Amino acid sequence: MDTLIQIYTATHGWLFESLVLPALYALGFMDFAELAFDATEIFILGVVQLVLIYVLLRPLEAWFPAEHWADRKSVRTDVLYTMLHRLGIVPIGIYALLTPVVDGAEAQLRLLGYIPYGLEELLPWLVASPIAAFLAYLVVLDFADYWRHRLQHRWGVWWALHSLHHSQRQMSLWTDDRNHLLDDVIGGLWFSAVAFVIGLGPAEFVAAMLTIRFVESLSHANVRLSFGRIGDRLLVSPRFHRTHHGVGIGHEGARYGCNFATLFPFWDMLFGTANFAYRGTATGISDQLQGRDYGESFLSQQWLGLKRLAGRA
Amino acid sequence: MSTRSVSAWRWVGWACALWAAFGLASAQPQPGSQAPKSAAAAGAVAVVLNSGEGTVSLIDKVTRKETARVPIGKEPHHLMTTPDGRELIVANAVSNDLVFLDPVTGKVLRRLDRISNPYHIGFSPDRRWFVTASLRLSQTDIYDANTFKLVKRFRNPKAPSHMAFSADSSLVFITLQDSNEVVAIDLNKQEIAWKLRVGPTPAGIWMTADDRHLLVGIMGSDGADVIDWRKRAVVGRIKTGEGAHAFLGMGDGQRVLITNRVANTISVIDQTSLKVLETFPVPGGPDCMELTSDGRELWVTTRWNRTVTVVDMQTKKILSTIPVGRSPHGLFFANHAPRR
Repeated sequence: MDTLIQIYTATHGWLFESLVLPALYALGFMDFAELAFDATEIFILGVVQLVLIYVLLRPLEAWFPAEHWADRKSVRTDVLYTMLHRLGIVPIGIYALLTPVVDGAEAQLRLLGYIPYGLEELLPWLVASPIAAFLAYLVVLDFADYWRHRLQHRWGVWWALHSLHHSQRQMSLWTDDRNHLLDDVIGGLWFSAVAFVIGLGPAEFVAAMLTIRFVESLSHANVRLSFGRIGDRLLVSPRFHRTHHGVGIGHEGARYGCNFATLFPFWDMLFGTANFAYRGTATGISDQLQGRDYGESFLSQQWLGLKRLAGRA
Repeated sequence: MSTRSVSAWRWVGWACALWAAFGLASAQPQPGSQAPKSAAAAGAVAVVLNSGEGTVSLIDKVTRKETARVPIGKEPHHLMTTPDGRELIVANAVSNDLVFLDPVTGKVLRRLDRISNPYHIGFSPDRRWFVTASLRLSQTDIYDANTFKLVKRFRNPKAPSHMAFSADSSLVFITLQDSNEVVAIDLNKQEIAWKLRVGPTPAGIWMTADDRHLLVGIMGSDGADVIDWRKRAVVGRIKTGEGAHAFLGMGDGQRVLITNRVANTISVIDQTSLKVLETFPVPGGPDCMELTSDGRELWVTTRWNRTVTVVDMQTKKILSTIPVGRSPHGLFFANHAPRR
């Protein structure tokens, strides 16, 4: 393990010191040095994560597929989404876009005398136990994400964007990041607000997101996999989440759908939206069966999302 | 389409539950009191702030080994002793608090909440004011140094970074990293006195021992700007190396060190002649420094490599490279050279 950490540290240090930092210096962007140091790490972790999800999840898709497809053509666009997200391009772009807004708002609150109470301030023993603190963050972030997800389905304007995610009829390990960029920005604002409320730092936020994203890759995978009667109630499984993507069930039924949780199905159980009765329903959106087009390429999907938002598609 | 599940995966759920239970059970009710016995006994602990992972590394200065890594709070960047030297203050920027350590053993003594985003900290020489710079929120706070009650909060766009004081404590000078300025705040009137344009991305700032000049590490360039602060003018540039960053006096009131983060070097500047006396290599992104009281060992956080580098100041050879946590920044040990 020590050797792996040494290799990782050396790679991160070398990449930043020999390539990124000199470039920043030459371009006059040294005020971004520390952000770029973190971004370099996000890139490396993204590469590691891509390798892991491919090596671990792709064989599962091949051995235990939930659906058999004649080809994987429509999956290719999702691969592009995954690359853009996991290698840090979209998240860093959103961070750069939102940071001035979020920090500006927070600075105004500080001028009014308000300092947010972090979780550790309310539960001081968390300071001494990073693992417990991390789990606490995951629970809070997942709770927030449950409600974000419910609202994505509940509000028509938000659904106009989020429906892009559900329009994939070949749902695979690559589908998690298939989102409209504007939806990603809204998600960034949502999580920034949560991070502000609970005092979440950037390092913890990145670690939490890596964990959440990995579970999401698994839960979207084309695998007929459950964690068992109890396990399915502890962590979102591919079977549980596939029901959420099921045509006419997951996101278009009573209460605007079921199984909204990202990590912990507990939230669905608590708020009455859990559905553990898997029927193997195909994924997608009902109106696709009537011919509604959500686009094939990245650009057409993004454009059509904006048109739906404007009520013109 | 089959609905058969892979039941073995239920164990993953159980494993997660057990992991969570273990994590919760291993939580300690009190932060602190984790100082290493051997190093404490030797009275020679170096405290390193791992800003990227919210911990402090405690290093036995004799063996040059990390003996403990203790959770401290989010983004600890800088640290300094209280004016009486009895406590070492660690400023946790994201946790909005100060943690007070025993400066000899590194043991956590107490925690002070509700300090807004303290990135860099400093006491005025007259011990009256405690100043914090909030780099992320572009604010500077002035606290009563005895009570730590907030007296005044200034908007200081953009990105107030490091600070230095005039000898008479009338002014605190703060670099504004993202607007390429130095701001002077009048501590008596509690108002901004003036601003001065300097080179790109100013970081560290140092008042020369004669109280005449401010040296400013220009991270976006290759040296330190020299400010005649009474004339409110930049009067020169000392070329040291690319990415000039932080300062540390060598204790003789004559020489001051400056790290050059891009060049991976450290330069020695004469505070009177304002000339570079020598420059030596320290790879890994040298940042904050601490010098032993006998002037023989220079300890440097080398940020990109997650290490502390120890340099023999006679030969300028690297004696040790000590692995620590992520993004090590502030560094302190008790028996250091005077800061002048």
